[in-house]
Amino acid sequence: MAEDVQPSRNAPHVDEPPTDRLRGGLIITVVSVLLVLATFYISSPTVPRVMAILVAVVGVGIIAGLVPVRGPQDFYGGLALVLLGIFAIIASAELPGQRGFAFGPGTAPRLFAIILAGLGAAITLVGMFSDGPRIEKYKIRGPALVIFAISLFAALIRPFGLVIATYLAFIVSITGSKEMRWIESLIAAAAMTVGCVLLFVYLLNLPFQLWPQANAPQLLLNQFADLFKNVFLLLQKLVPGLK
Amino acid sequence: MSELLSNLALGFGVAFSPMNILFCLLGALVGTLVGVLPGIGTVATIAMLLPITFGLPPVGALIMLAGIYYGAQYGGSTTSVLVNIPGEATSVVTCLDGHQMARQGRAGAALAIAAIGSFFAGCVATVLVAALGAPLTSLALLFGPAEYFSLMVLGLIFAVVLAKGSVVKAIAMVMTGLLMSMVGSDLETGAGRMTFDIAELADGIGFTNIAMGVFGFAEIIRNLELPSESRDIVSSKVTGLMPTRKDLIDSSGAIARGTVLGSLLGILPGGGAVIASFAAYTFEKRISRDPSRFGKGAIEGVAAPESANNAAAQTAFIPLLTLGIPPNAVMALMVGAMTIHGIVPGPQVMTKQPELFWGMIASMWLGNLMLVIINLPLVGVWVTLLRVPYRLLFPSIIVFCCIGIYSINNSPTDVMISAMYGVVGYWLIKHDFEAAPMLLGFVLGPLMEENLRRAMLIARGDATVFFTRPISGGLLAVSILLLILALLPMIRKRREEVFVE
Repeated sequence: MAEDVQPSRNAPHVDEPPTDRLRGGLIITVVSVLLVLATFYISSPTVPRVMAILVAVVGVGIIAGLVPVRGPQDFYGGLALVLLGIFAIIASAELPGQRGFAFGPGTAPRLFAIILAGLGAAITLVGMFSDGPRIEKYKIRGPALVIFAISLFAALIRPFGLVIATYLAFIVSITGSKEMRWIESLIAAAAMTVGCVLLFVYLLNLPFQLWPQANAPQLLLNQFADLFKNVFLLLQKLVPGLK
Repeated sequence: MSELLSNLALGFGVAFSPMNILFCLLGALVGTLVGVLPGIGTVATIAMLLPITFGLPPVGALIMLAGIYYGAQYGGSTTSVLVNIPGEATSVVTCLDGHQMARQGRAGAALAIAAIGSFFAGCVATVLVAALGAPLTSLALLFGPAEYFSLMVLGLIFAVVLAKGSVVKAIAMVMTGLLMSMVGSDLETGAGRMTFDIAELADGIGFTNIAMGVFGFAEIIRNLELPSESRDIVSSKVTGLMPTRKDLIDSSGAIARGTVLGSLLGILPGGGAVIASFAAYTFEKRISRDPSRFGKGAIEGVAAPESANNAAAQTAFIPLLTLGIPPNAVMALMVGAMTIHGIVPGPQVMTKQPELFWGMIASMWLGNLMLVIINLPLVGVWVTLLRVPYRLLFPSIIVFCCIGIYSINNSPTDVMISAMYGVVGYWLIKHDFEAAPMLLGFVLGPLMEENLRRAMLIARGDATVFFTRPISGGLLAVSILLLILALLPMIRKRREEVFVE
């Protein structure tokens, strides 16, 4: 619990290198500015706009080196939660609020979003004024390959069927590990695919399509086209006047 | 007393026959095997295996269903312990200490204690159901929306207190989970809330998607960063498959307390069972002589929640069958199956269809027994699975998770959402936030909001109703007390710092 948590009272605190500050501050500033812009499209924008502007100011302060960041983990974690809270307020802005003593659909989300933003601010303050651990480096290769493998599965499963989707997802994800060996991986992928097919399709009788459909590449392209269309529609809604 | 015995005798007479026992065994085996696959949660397991029971006679079908149910639950616990992926809401707490025990080579002990604790709790709860069924229903009816809301608040405070790290961060995580649970359709108006008109989000984000992403994918991404020696799930030698005598003695108290807590909370329709597991965990942590052991492989941390949620699962049959209110999706499936086979929930079910009702209760007990019989020998098999080198294990987990998630709704979007939550989980790990409170907030969010709104409506906007109604006020008082107790060490430390300076 809390007794073993005050991190690194003992760890020597090294000042954050300027590149970390720049990167962190830049991300915070950009996101909060985007949120400020988003508030122009909602009704009752005052509260989220003020909050987002405050965070943007803090972001600029980080870049300028005016804001002390003694506990980066907590500091940036707290700011991210504040931004999430602001985002939730903006997202639920169009929902009707309280009518008399009946809660509307929007009351609870806004209530919890404000509480979250408050807690995020508290955590940020802790990160500002007391020493804390640095954020470990984010690795790129492992996470990117795993996420790519999962996305590949999602994209391929309908047009190309279970066998190909499973096999490729297995191979791609295994490359995320530095210790992969090609022959072993190819065989293991085949074994796993066979196993999954036996289990899910034959044993459990789940309705999976095993092999590619006749017009598989076309379907795949259609999926992406649908995705882009939906994203575009979304953007259109957020930024009226975009054609 | 004689009524109790005659009811149980009726039930067992109906349930015990060679064919039925065989069905139960089969159900438990299949349920465990499917439930153990990471990515296949308890709901998915039961949904997949339900059709197997359709061709059987009613009693046989119900008994097989009971076996499948327990198998699925235990399979979910097995996955929690072995690979830190919770199969359903009640398994989240098992992950905390169970997986740590697995890392220390004590997976066998963890799994065995879970089975034994569950069985003990199931026995006690069955007797309770038989003895106190009718009066307990009236107790459950005392709980109005205000009481439910306060109970949920207490449950969330439990979720906060059981976190290892900073209390403020845990509360923030609970809030995040609550916020995320509000994405979807509004309860009363059906309006889309925060869905941005994405069709797949109309039913909410989905517990499985978040759990797989944050616990499964994020953990894999995290593990890939670590040097290869510390990646294998079991880093030290596996020390024996059975719990030692010391383990059994240590966990006996936890099992007893978990059973009591679970039996009480399971009676509440609509959510008592979920809270039971983390209430038991928090309780154990609070009264333990050395609370810092929790989260690092304390056996009480596995025994208590497993016993509690099994006891709650049994006593949940009381409101389930008398009031017709299933506490969660799993029980809803069971109700559906029961209705198909002729048991119609309602206040009269205990008196008008006693053979089916007591047969159901008895078959649940039988399922519980089968579980222990099958799984204690199988523990060795599960532990051997951990020895697979991580570079081959993690792609298998990813693939199972993807297939499992896809199979729920045949929707690639669900898989993508899980991928996004994998990234979120990775971020949480980097910033030292804990995922378990977030998940628990997500599960309790809809119930909490519904009861909050209902209570406010009934009280005509008077917020003090939560404090003036006795049960509700009592529950809130306990929550505040717990919160203060949790924050106290932090306050004390701050005061010491100020003092020193």
